[in-house]
Amino acid sequence: MIRAIDISTSALVAQRTRLDTLSGNIANMSSLVNENGEAEPYRARQVVFRTDDTMQTSSGAAGVRVEEIHVDESDPLYRYQPDHPLSIKEGKWQGYVAYPNIDLTTQMVDALEATRAYEANVGVMEMTKSIGRDTLSIIA
Amino acid sequence: MIQGIFQSTTLPALEQMAMFSERRHEVLAGNVANLDTPEYRARDLSVNDFENALAAAIEKQRNPETHAFRSPGYLTSAELPPALRSTAQANTDPFDGPRLAMEKLVYHDGSDVNWETQITELSKNQSMHNMAIALMRSQFSTLNAAISERV
Repeated sequence: MIRAIDISTSALVAQRTRLDTLSGNIANMSSLVNENGEAEPYRARQVVFRTDDTMQTSSGAAGVRVEEIHVDESDPLYRYQPDHPLSIKEGKWQGYVAYPNIDLTTQMVDALEATRAYEANVGVMEMTKSIGRDTLSIIA
Repeated sequence: MIQGIFQSTTLPALEQMAMFSERRHEVLAGNVANLDTPEYRARDLSVNDFENALAAAIEKQRNPETHAFRSPGYLTSAELPPALRSTAQANTDPFDGPRLAMEKLVYHDGSDVNWETQITELSKNQSMHNMAIALMRSQFSTLNAAISERV
């Protein structure tokens, strides 16, 4: 019974991490400079989930954990802004500014899904609690 | 003596039922936890297998000399007339078709966890647990009434 709560908690943690990553992506939608002050657009991060067999129960149920946080290596979006202080000075993209390649729609839908999955696991936790409460009620 | 009182009731069977549904709840909770895990395959414990094993155990307790399981009042499939036999065994569930079609369905991430199915199974399982607990409670209150000679 307690294991069921642990399993649901592992999913809560995983979905929470996913939501953190997504909010980071949305917050950095227009970040053109990286944390070291270099002109490099932000790259979208994406969490990858994995079945966690270390917390497997005797009945075969398993939790979930974050396998890795994948950094999107796709090309940035280029916008022609020659007067921008960070515009590219030479080469093919001269006069363009590199923007993060983040699709707001994808991020928002993903965030919605993470929220629903979080709620589903909270619901299962409530069921677990109610089963435990019922079992204890035999004593009364 | 007290052991005899408990053995003569359905309490041992109800206990097994509550324990099974608790184990199954863990498995189903694991499925919901892995809703977004790529390549994850839904896991479950077979209710049918459990019920058959439980029925066999109850039958064995009632008639220790004849170990073969046979539910009272029902014919085994060998005793049925041939015309009834096939329908009695196959296709007892009218929703078999859609269910089997959904079982083979795999989503884009290679996972086959179906949200609606898992939640339905969870609440069915919870009802099973509730029933076992409610029956246990009524068994205990019957025993209590007998002990205290008061209703």
